[in-house]
Amino acid sequence: MSPAPHSHGPWSGVRVLDLTGLSGAYGTRVWAALGADVICVEPPAGNPIRSMPPLAPGHEGPEASLWWAYYAASKRSVVLDPTDAEDAAALVKLIGSADVVLDDAMPAAQEAYPWLADAGEGGLGVAGIVERFPHLTWVSITPFGMTGPRRHWRSSNLVAWASCGLASTVGFPHGPPLAPAGEIGVLMHGASLHAVIGSMMSVRARNLAAAADEPALGQTIDLSLQEVGLWLSPETGVPLYLDDQVPRPRAGNRRPVTSPMGMYPASDGYVAIIAIQPAHWNAVAQWVHELTGNEGILDEIFIDIVVRREALEAVDAWVEELTTRFTKQELFVEGQRRRIPITPVNTVGDLRHDPHLEAVGWWRPEEHPVLGTYTVPGSPFTTDGDWWAWQRAPMLGEHTEDVLGELT
Amino acid sequence: MTVSAGRRPLEGVRVFEISIAVAAPCCGKAMAHHGAEVFKVEAHSYPDVARAFGSAWARDPELADIFCDTGPYVPEMSAGKRSVGLELKQPQALEAAKRLLATCDVFLTNFAAPGIAELGLDYESVKQVRPDIIYAGMTGFGVDPDKPYYPFRAFGPNQAPLVGWDALTGFPHEEPAGIPSIAPPDYMGGLHTMLAIVTALHERDRTGEGRFIDISQLETTVSFLGPYLVGQDLGVPEPFRNGNRVSWAAPAGIYPCAGDDRWIAVEVPDDEAWEALAGLAEWADVPAHDASGQSALSTYPHGTLADRIAHHDAIDTELAAWTSRRSPQQAAAELQALGIAAYEVLNHTGVLADPQVHDRRPYSIAPSPRLGRDLFVRNPVRMSATPPYVTRAGPNMGGDTVDVLTEIGYADDDVEQMVANGTAFVDARPDVVLERPFDRWYESVGIAEFYDAEGNITGGAQ
Repeated sequence: MSPAPHSHGPWSGVRVLDLTGLSGAYGTRVWAALGADVICVEPPAGNPIRSMPPLAPGHEGPEASLWWAYYAASKRSVVLDPTDAEDAAALVKLIGSADVVLDDAMPAAQEAYPWLADAGEGGLGVAGIVERFPHLTWVSITPFGMTGPRRHWRSSNLVAWASCGLASTVGFPHGPPLAPAGEIGVLMHGASLHAVIGSMMSVRARNLAAAADEPALGQTIDLSLQEVGLWLSPETGVPLYLDDQVPRPRAGNRRPVTSPMGMYPASDGYVAIIAIQPAHWNAVAQWVHELTGNEGILDEIFIDIVVRREALEAVDAWVEELTTRFTKQELFVEGQRRRIPITPVNTVGDLRHDPHLEAVGWWRPEEHPVLGTYTVPGSPFTTDGDWWAWQRAPMLGEHTEDVLGELT
Repeated sequence: MTVSAGRRPLEGVRVFEISIAVAAPCCGKAMAHHGAEVFKVEAHSYPDVARAFGSAWARDPELADIFCDTGPYVPEMSAGKRSVGLELKQPQALEAAKRLLATCDVFLTNFAAPGIAELGLDYESVKQVRPDIIYAGMTGFGVDPDKPYYPFRAFGPNQAPLVGWDALTGFPHEEPAGIPSIAPPDYMGGLHTMLAIVTALHERDRTGEGRFIDISQLETTVSFLGPYLVGQDLGVPEPFRNGNRVSWAAPAGIYPCAGDDRWIAVEVPDDEAWEALAGLAEWADVPAHDASGQSALSTYPHGTLADRIAHHDAIDTELAAWTSRRSPQQAAAELQALGIAAYEVLNHTGVLADPQVHDRRPYSIAPSPRLGRDLFVRNPVRMSATPPYVTRAGPNMGGDTVDVLTEIGYADDDVEQMVANGTAFVDARPDVVLERPFDRWYESVGIAEFYDAEGNITGGAQ
């Protein structure tokens, strides 16, 4: 039995067609679990996410990717081949049944879909689709937007971080710029959240217009990955720079504004410490003193952050005498007890066993007909309502018959 | 309430915001852009860091009382909001806040749970004033005092290490580089909160009921690691920081270009693009770096993804030799012509000169009560029928206190008395209008749309 879309949840009754890859997947995952009927329209070979590693060990084929297993949760899968005339017609019909379509094809493709021509709608681009289906919201998520001299340029999570100015500030002074958090794709997640929020806004505007007996209100949304990056990075953005004229070079994992400030070695990894306020420094100094007998560190002169910057190497060395004696989790718990802003530099393995996530019951088991049983993360936030309904990711084309059968 | 075509979808929605730094403010800002009326309720006794930062050029002691209005983070985080000055630790101010709350649809905060309870603005208290309130509380670790991290301190720069993002940033042979100078977890927390609030508004339209939303930023931001967390259970090796490489495309990286600290980001998306790259004649001139003694790029013209990942080091060396002979713009243009994702690693001045930024103008300039006009980033969701925008930068700290208190029914005498006794405050010297040192550049830099007080775009470069 294929799971049906759940019939409760705050967005039940809203249908979303997801034609995207990574730039839409996270946001539509959240929307689907909140009740929207999110249908992934896939080509016969499957959405490219289905082939992204890591794959479940011992598995290959369209169900093996853990990206798919995670990001397609609670969605449905319909396979349509837009080069086939019958499928193209079905796709147009399916679009007509939807409230929102999210598309990450390049602008040139979105401006003139051949499958729309096959369906008897020659030359119908995105603007034309909304004219034909006046209630529809069509979201174009593209590298640089639907307009401008670079609209046909390609991008990726890495390239988008480069294009918005943020990557230039991440990394060590001696090395190249870096994408934050590497391949987990933080910017792509941000784009998908913006795309879904914009879609929800559009649905709301449409519903309000309908309630007021106004004409159907559909629209297009033009979302550029470069501009998502600009929105996410005021710390490195143009308004701050124009104001202070201070360049923001790569400074590595410590900020040489004072000490301790940044990453310090623990016995099993690293911790991050921020001690700017005098109370925070005093707590660090007291702890170092208790542990190592260091008297000098208690000297009042070090309460001044400028003095600690001038004596950076010495103070860092003192702090390291403390941090290297404990595990990062020990430093986290005891440091926080002492009211020091300190956190462990967690790895994925650490998080799998994090005491908070275990205490709130975040993890839940999931069964998959191909991959078996495994543990998956819980909801990104909670409410006092019955909002969430999580289901395993759909298999390739699992809902094609159901969904097409519903279309009249 | 009616919204006609072109009206923004949150017009008529009123938001009570009590916030600090980025996480809640960026959510409130986005709501303001979509038409919500957002009241930023702030106090001198616990000022937002955006107020405390001020501006480097405004350190003259004569400007001390209006320093709080000068920081570039003020419009970046709060453009379009109204600022209400209330010292909530005083009962009379709390009473005023509750009268304002009674008119609001949404309560938004990222104060720590114990702190907001101390102010008397926990969910139960707010619900008594406004039973159908949508209450969004953003905390580090949730609102349950029985959970292990409940009393712990969480703020921006300490969040990325906690949720695994720092350990994944950097090269495998080095310490993690982390992201200590930026705060993407805060923005992601803000976006999740916005999504939750809009969902609750959608639900309330049908049910008439409010909602309590608990945004624990640990769960929210750890959610981005999903595929790897799932994999742990299935025996997938733990992921490790791997520079700028990705598991599904190669080569990918940031390579040096001609010039000082000039770089280009490159990601070859598929076999076709790789073949186009490997087919360039130039590889004959590039010294070989593979063990075979041949150029990796000429040896694997039809290499699969697995081949390219196996020889990534050699490919990187050769590609870097190629990019080093070009400016980033030239290299990007050549690579894009081959179907390869590539862009200059822009810094601030690079963004200012970027042709796409000039064409699409992703910044706004709008009237500011303290600075005449001011600059901030636009909402990236470009909606054709109901575009998001705000008509005001700022706000001045306490600049809307009198208007707002009057609107909710306070008599002029009451307002005067509250300002006189310090339970409320107004902006200092509202007649003093400063000018940012770069204000005169606005017309020439050409990165912003200019908005007037009615929301009309009045043109860019003039």
